[in-house]
Amino acid sequence: MNSLKGRFPIAVAIGAIFGALSRFYITDLAKAMFGKDFGFYGTFFINVTGCLIIAYILTLATENIRLISPELRLMTTTGFCGAYTTFSTYGLEASGFLEKGNITMLLVYFVGSAISGMIGIQIGVLLARTCDRQS
Amino acid sequence: MSDITNAFAIGSGAATGALSRFYLTEWSKAKYGTKFPYATFGINVTGCLAMGFFFTISKGIAGYPTELDLLIRTGFLGSYTTFSTYGFDTLTMWRSNQKIATIFYWAGSAILGVVAVFLGAAIAKLFIK
Repeated sequence: MNSLKGRFPIAVAIGAIFGALSRFYITDLAKAMFGKDFGFYGTFFINVTGCLIIAYILTLATENIRLISPELRLMTTTGFCGAYTTFSTYGLEASGFLEKGNITMLLVYFVGSAISGMIGIQIGVLLARTCDRQS
Repeated sequence: MSDITNAFAIGSGAATGALSRFYLTEWSKAKYGTKFPYATFGINVTGCLAMGFFFTISKGIAGYPTELDLLIRTGFLGSYTTFSTYGFDTLTMWRSNQKIATIFYWAGSAILGVVAVFLGAAIAKLFIK
């Protein structure tokens, strides 16, 4: 299977554009709602919900609960979820708290994101498994 | 108008970022197998390094264009790095009973990510002085 050419990368790119724009607008919304320095509320929300969505879709696909075409799977997981969630902004925001000496927020955000992400993953898996199996 | 320019900058950065991640991941799977997610690990750490670098550059240079910042940081780096795959990889590794490697991957990505941001910022400071 030649997965590196043709429809697969196009699917990844389309998903990525929507994912990154969703992240941008949600972060902007968080800044408008909570203030300029609170963009990390948005990043936190994005990373946790992104974990939930990817676990939901990949569980549906890998446990054969639903038939999902490889193109759709790549578009939604590698493309959308991959671009929607971000590790670099998470690192940047965590290092910002560390630099300011705000250890409480560092621990809440830095450790909290990593743990909440895993909780999001577990919820996604559970939601997918409670779907009726395709007969 | 600027809304469209911004969206276009983010979109083009995101497409190239996600494709870089896709190709690096496929290449790494073919070369090193799927036991440890080397690609995602490397991508997230190098993405954090670049994030620290370009954040410092964007703050340190007067008149640095917003569109370029959105293209590189929000678009490319945001899309190149990923939190969702990091989370799902962690679960997959934990299920396959590689407990120590899982903890190394899970905590190591986060800690090295922050270290890489500082390193990237330090490199950028060499350029703007």
